[in-house]
Amino acid sequence: MKASYRWLRELVPQLTASTTDLAARLTSAGLEVEGLIEFGLASEACLVVRVVSCRPHPTKSGLRLVTVDRGGSQQEVVCGAPNVPDLGGLVVLAPLGVYLPAKNVTIAKRAIAGVESEGMLCSEDELGLGDDHDGILVLAPDCATPGTTLAAAVPAARDTVFEINLTPNRPDGLGHIGLAREIAALYNFPFVLPDFATAGGMERAPSALSVRDLVTIVVEDAERCPHYGAAAVVDIAVTASPSTRYRLQALGVRSISNVVDVTNLVMLAWGHPLHAFDLDRVRGNTIVVRRANDGEKLTTLDGVTRELVSDDLLICDGQGPVALAGVMGGASSEIHEGTKRVLFEVACFDPRGVRRTARRHGLHTESSHRFERGVDPGDVESVLDHAVGLTVALAGGQPAAGRIHVQHAHSCAVPAPPAKRILTLRVARLRALLGVDVPFDEAIPILERLGCSVVAKSSISCDVLVPTHRPDLTREVDLIEEVLRVRGLDSVPAQLPAIRASRDVGGREELARRAREIAVSVGLSEAITYGFTSARALEAVGAPKPTVLLRNPLGEHHAVMRTSLLPGLLDAVAHARRHFERDVREFTIGQVFLAAAPSGDGLPTEQLRIGVVLAGDRPGWLEKPQPLDVWDAKGYAVGLTERLAGASALVQVEPATRDELTEIASHLHPRGAAFVHVNGRRIGAFGLLHPDAVAALALDGDVLVVELTLESFAEGIPIPQYAAIPRFPASTRDVALLVRDAVMAGEVESAVRAAAGPLAERVRLFDRFTGGHVAAGFASLAFRVVYRASSGTLTDAEVDAAHANVVKVVGERFGAKLR
Amino acid sequence: MDAVSDPTVETIELEITAALASLREAFLPRFRAAATAQALRDENAKILGKKGELTAILKLLGKAPPEGRKAIGEKVNALKQEVESGFESCLSNLRLREREAELSAPPFDLTLPARVPAQVGHKHPISIVREEVVAVFRQLGFAVFDGPEVEHEGNNFTALGFPPDHPATDMQDSFWTQSNHVLRTHTSNIQVRAMKSIAPPMAFIAPGTVYRRDDDATHSPMFHQIEAFLVDKDVTLAHLKGVLAEFAERLFGPGTPVRLRPSYFPFVEPGAEVDIGCVFCKQPNGTRAGCSLCKHTGFIEVLGCGMIHPVVFENCGIDPEVFSGFALGMGLERLAMLRYGVPNIKLMFDNDPRFLAQF
Ligand SMILES: [Zn+2]
Repeated sequence: MKASYRWLRELVPQLTASTTDLAARLTSAGLEVEGLIEFGLASEACLVVRVVSCRPHPTKSGLRLVTVDRGGSQQEVVCGAPNVPDLGGLVVLAPLGVYLPAKNVTIAKRAIAGVESEGMLCSEDELGLGDDHDGILVLAPDCATPGTTLAAAVPAARDTVFEINLTPNRPDGLGHIGLAREIAALYNFPFVLPDFATAGGMERAPSALSVRDLVTIVVEDAERCPHYGAAAVVDIAVTASPSTRYRLQALGVRSISNVVDVTNLVMLAWGHPLHAFDLDRVRGNTIVVRRANDGEKLTTLDGVTRELVSDDLLICDGQGPVALAGVMGGASSEIHEGTKRVLFEVACFDPRGVRRTARRHGLHTESSHRFERGVDPGDVESVLDHAVGLTVALAGGQPAAGRIHVQHAHSCAVPAPPAKRILTLRVARLRALLGVDVPFDEAIPILERLGCSVVAKSSISCDVLVPTHRPDLTREVDLIEEVLRVRGLDSVPAQLPAIRASRDVGGREELARRAREIAVSVGLSEAITYGFTSARALEAVGAPKPTVLLRNPLGEHHAVMRTSLLPGLLDAVAHARRHFERDVREFTIGQVFLAAAPSGDGLPTEQLRIGVVLAGDRPGWLEKPQPLDVWDAKGYAVGLTERLAGASALVQVEPATRDELTEIASHLHPRGAAFVHVNGRRIGAFGLLHPDAVAALALDGDVLVVELTLESFAEGIPIPQYAAIPRFPASTRDVALLVRDAVMAGEVESAVRAAAGPLAERVRLFDRFTGGHVAAGFASLAFRVVYRASSGTLTDAEVDAAHANVVKVVGERFGAKLR
Repeated sequence: MDAVSDPTVETIELEITAALASLREAFLPRFRAAATAQALRDENAKILGKKGELTAILKLLGKAPPEGRKAIGEKVNALKQEVESGFESCLSNLRLREREAELSAPPFDLTLPARVPAQVGHKHPISIVREEVVAVFRQLGFAVFDGPEVEHEGNNFTALGFPPDHPATDMQDSFWTQSNHVLRTHTSNIQVRAMKSIAPPMAFIAPGTVYRRDDDATHSPMFHQIEAFLVDKDVTLAHLKGVLAEFAERLFGPGTPVRLRPSYFPFVEPGAEVDIGCVFCKQPNGTRAGCSLCKHTGFIEVLGCGMIHPVVFENCGIDPEVFSGFALGMGLERLAMLRYGVPNIKLMFDNDPRFLAQF
């Protein structure tokens, strides 16, 4: 909402606060002023001057040398405008040294085609008063004496405009009268509504015609239109409207004509939109308010032909729709230069219906904005008075006698006042909610200033009659807020409560925090990835088909809720690679959205997971960079799992079988895919991304991925139990075994472990070697076995016996030869 | 024993004495000539070793008649001790010199890259802030309440008092699923879930992911919020202000001023927006100089709050005449962007490794 400081001061004459003070006060009361616009700042320095003489420029055609009287002195300026008025006409001079903010120039002495000019005759555009730059501004004759400033001569040419960010509960703030009432309440000034009925021209005798002779109004849907008021003015002259021009311009509204300006000004005064019809274009002299038929069409003022549905409310004439009620008029009955008779509509429409129509048609107008928030049902007659009075003042003519009001489908000449709400306010409740005593002596005057009246009062409670312009006041607590707002939030002290502590419900935050801590400690950085992705990306990573599909996604790429964390992480890899960053070691923690549990509440099952992507080179020290490979992926997968599961859990890695590869790990390279098991339960997979997935997601290179579910770790790790530290020394034996290349090291290791028996404390593969003197098709696997007994120091003979069994068993099982 | 070759006692004595004398003359210069500890030990072994010179002399002693052995033996032992102490002192000199040399050798090249014990990764800035905010509220006695991101319309809107077809829902344009669920537009759904499932008193925070149908320079369609709410008997606006002041001090530093402005959220009444003293233009004396980030007001908006609306209590089966409560909520992206000076919300979700490595 844009509000004019000048207008507000007309409505609250006692107001002396500066614009910045007023802005701060409004903001502190919940009407947040986001900015101040200085309108027509140049008007304060520019002068009204009289054209004294005018001659052509000596050399340059199209330019003229205009001598002007600036009140006592004269000067000659060069002017290129085509519309320099005749001698005696008043124009506006920007003297030397004046700054014009609209053009960001300071007037300097300069030669124009060889003639020096010490100033400039200005257009509205240059003065920041409008966008007219076709010629200089020519003022009404004799509107001021030469030498006065433009601001003094034409007060509306200088204003400060408040940009107020109104919350949707305050429709009263969408008009200057509502804002003025609020300001008066904040500063404790009396607020008196101006008498618009007699302001300007209403004394003029009404026409012999009655509005009822001119038009018939039928409201077919009283629920959507509980009140339709109408008035008419005849014999008007539609003209340009210099007197309303700058006020509207300051408020961001273009001045169209006197009658259209009336509708805009009255709306900006009351916050109640109104519509003007050319009565001669209302076919059949009938207005019908009804719902549209499905498929019916209306061309709105913006030139768009709209197909309507039965939920749309229409204003129709005798032949068809002429306006989308409360949203936008149609072109057919628009006010135009030749309009002689105008019909004003001031109605109340159901806010929800207006909103549905506006959204359905993608429209958001000044009118729909106000109707959606709720107009004052009690001001219809006043708004009509104001519109008629202003029309007569600006466009002449005579008001048709009487009014038409159709209230709840009943036609009447004078509307019944709408029912007002009565709320009970308890003084104890003020204290209970605010934590500070606010006596009625203080609270009630505040409410009265806001337009409320107290109809009954005791020492502990009072009954408050809520004015119709405050539809947001529906409960006692709303009154308490009003008192607080005006009193100021600073008036409430800060006091720490004694909190009776609660316990966590659901453990995801803590689980995610723990997983994050672990992932960071192993060198991964955290990505935050979107919950939505595309069905195509999920398919490319072999994830389950999405079950949560968005009805109104921002695009195909974000149309479904993810069933895997990988698409989001792979987006990060793709982004990094597009920006020439090859090394990506990132994780993300988040929900995947799976089918709803059959017994649940119908919501999808949300499962917390951690995903990891690895790309680029392994971090190393003073060595040639080596690309990350599947064993790095295994390291992260196992490392994360072991730390999440705790030392007592059995963490195993199982390479994917052929069936698993097609069914649940199709996104992984068939040679490098494995599952992670904890205590026999599969919790996730890792491996090299399948080249098809790399291609489908345009990843431009290999990526390793890990994805693990976290829910099985929700309970935290089991408390580790102390095991005695060995007291006796260990004996170490190495064994190098030559096995067929295809033999899996893990199997050999398990065999070594089994064969070494209970004395073997540790078995570790420390070298794998192929080529050189190892025959083709074979690999040398070197294990170190650490033997130890808890009961005493082992003898060489005991160790040798155990180790001999290793060589024998592994030899038999794998045909392994000792190297 | 061969009587012919049997030397006289005197001869042997003389021989031994001469040998001892010459060794006594020679051993120190020989030791001193050794350049390394090993060379010194070698030299020492040549004298005191199994085949050493003094050992050889000692062997001569066996040939001496028993009555003279004792005296000669004492001489030999005396020299042996002299050699040993000479060796020790030369060795310690040598070590000293070696140590000097080692200490004064060219320094290690500490401009070589560090050998990092284990690479440590980086938390996302939003997570850092999230964990801090959660920690502050935990210290104040709040616990975490979890809830889903895909939510019933009732829990996200209706129970919170959002009127249908009302402009208030413009503030939160939402994503809908084909099953007519909504992606939660705020973490306030947790208020409803908590109050429907637990009897007061309760003090919870709800951190989480939320979704709104906005995608422009300053909005991301997915972002993060933390909601905190307290429901008990006699909870007042003064308590809300107390918790806000405490929160601001703990998260932004002691003395951080807090300012409340009335505002509107359907589920609180009275509602307010909360500004804290600008963290960018704070002066050493605690005042704010004003800067472009606070639009020269000295304050920046960080959260919304209010007293829980009675309609929310009623919708959740709690009697607003008996219980009252407050709720406050903040966007984590905004907090993180303010704290780290991140100019564009999009950077938060690009997950560029060079971005993440900065926090
Ligand atoms: Zn600042």
